[in-house]
Amino acid sequence: MDGLRLLLPELGLSVMALLLMACDLFFDARRGKVLMGFGFVAAGVALGSLGLAYNAPDTYQGLGTLWAVDPLGLYFKAIILAATVFALMLSVDYKSPDAIRHPGSFTALVLLSAVGQMFLVSATDLLLIFLSLELVSISSFVLVGYERRDLKSSEGAMKYFLFGAFSSAILVYGISLMYAALGGTSLIDIAPAMDRGVSTSFVVGCVMLAVGFGFKVSMAPFHFWVADAYEGAPTPVTAYLSIAPKAAALAVMLRVFTHLIPHTSLDLQGIFAFMAFLTMTVGNLTALFQTNVKRLLAYSSIAQAGYLLIGFVTGDTIGREGLLMYAMVYVFMNLGAFTVAMAVGNEDGYELEAFDGLARRSLGLALLMAFFLLSLAGIPPMAGFIGKFALFAAAVKGGYWFLAVTAVLNSVVSVYYYMSVVYHMFFKAPRTLEPARTDVLMTGTLAVAAVGVLVIGLYPEPFLAAAKLSADMLPAVSSHP
Amino acid sequence: MSLAHYLAVSGLLFSVGLFGALTRRNVIGILMGIELMFNAANLNLAAFNRFLHPVGVAGNAVSLFIMAVAAAEIVVGLALVMAIYRNLNTVYVEDMNLLKG
Repeated sequence: MDGLRLLLPELGLSVMALLLMACDLFFDARRGKVLMGFGFVAAGVALGSLGLAYNAPDTYQGLGTLWAVDPLGLYFKAIILAATVFALMLSVDYKSPDAIRHPGSFTALVLLSAVGQMFLVSATDLLLIFLSLELVSISSFVLVGYERRDLKSSEGAMKYFLFGAFSSAILVYGISLMYAALGGTSLIDIAPAMDRGVSTSFVVGCVMLAVGFGFKVSMAPFHFWVADAYEGAPTPVTAYLSIAPKAAALAVMLRVFTHLIPHTSLDLQGIFAFMAFLTMTVGNLTALFQTNVKRLLAYSSIAQAGYLLIGFVTGDTIGREGLLMYAMVYVFMNLGAFTVAMAVGNEDGYELEAFDGLARRSLGLALLMAFFLLSLAGIPPMAGFIGKFALFAAAVKGGYWFLAVTAVLNSVVSVYYYMSVVYHMFFKAPRTLEPARTDVLMTGTLAVAAVGVLVIGLYPEPFLAAAKLSADMLPAVSSHP
Repeated sequence: MSLAHYLAVSGLLFSVGLFGALTRRNVIGILMGIELMFNAANLNLAAFNRFLHPVGVAGNAVSLFIMAVAAAEIVVGLALVMAIYRNLNTVYVEDMNLLKG
């Protein structure tokens, strides 16, 4: 087990999760909120420790037996941990104190899911990919169904579970076929095995692996679970699921399909280009007809996954940079939108009518929501524009004109449904004049998200530089003995 | 018994599982289908280990991991079935229709 020290943040968080689960026994629901506090502090500390890894690459980066800790992995780990911190902060203020019973277990599950994702973005071995994907999935199933009294929550979890388990089964079969072709589970240095010629079982295995990942990224046509799971789940969990596991699955796809598997041996780019097109189109067109804000944001997140896939399709450095940049922007804007939705939905539910006249009830929230939605639609000068620009430019440079054009058209379509929320907030008469309730942690999350979107939108250079730095230095796989 | 025999069985198992998972209306039935798909993969791994890559035990090890994880996954699934059954008194997916749109 060489290189175990590379996984210190993961190990620390796992220990913390187990401790929290034990502590849960001694706290009731109300006082247990403090455990969520411990949870997000722990995630924050882990996030800080990643900074060390960036600053001292010799000590903290490298290859282990099954994993590679490199700038790309670290970048995605930072995104995952940021989403974890904010999701836990939101959970504290979710509905009444009784909505999330056993807050210690809840926090532990969020942390374990984060650990799974962190392993996933580092994994270079089929076995570790499978195990970490399952760790993420199983904890997410439970999180989605966490409000056991709420039938919607259980139903969403059930549907999520059936699709998730089904996709895992396909993934596992794919892994078995790849094992046949490779004679092992390590994906490092598979080039020699490829030189002997690419076997059918390898190609079929790769496709099945892609299907398994596709479910997690909510790639069309494997997106059916998304809306139900997102609507049923407690809102902080929805916000979390729409960001972190998606980013993690994209990262592992990047690593496996554009880096570890040599391009010369297998060219799936055409298929993936079509999938990206399908994903954003299906997401946007379905979002047009939604009357529930949570569902609308769910379909919007499918569409956003489609945009992100563009960076993956081109597969070169520019595409990767675009993807990294957009993933970071996406954290802030999606998180912000879900936070405002939660502030309203805590008391009034998530139907569009609940947002009627929000501008007259709480102007600040309405303005922030409009701000985040505009950013999601990709209107300058918000951050979403910078991210989309980077991605679409990559598509054009990579020669995927068709993809770039459809992506722009899709963004235009998306403005319609994002603005319908804004229309309800600003131009409809409110049912009550009571302002929507926001607590300290929620306000804090909103502030961070808003500052993030604004700063990245107005002064993107340092962030683009960071993305560039993280995209350039994938591990030089072939140099490993 | 050659590799082809094992592969035929595992392919059949996978297809049966896939068919079951896609056509069953009963959640327990779907879970059984998914379980068959997992087992097809396990059979594959063991057979490949024995016939194609007899040096090392990677295939067998992976199949052990898969068994453990699949069991854990099914436990969560059954817990969810219980949670729904208590409220709805049904295990049929067509009755789980609260979420739409």
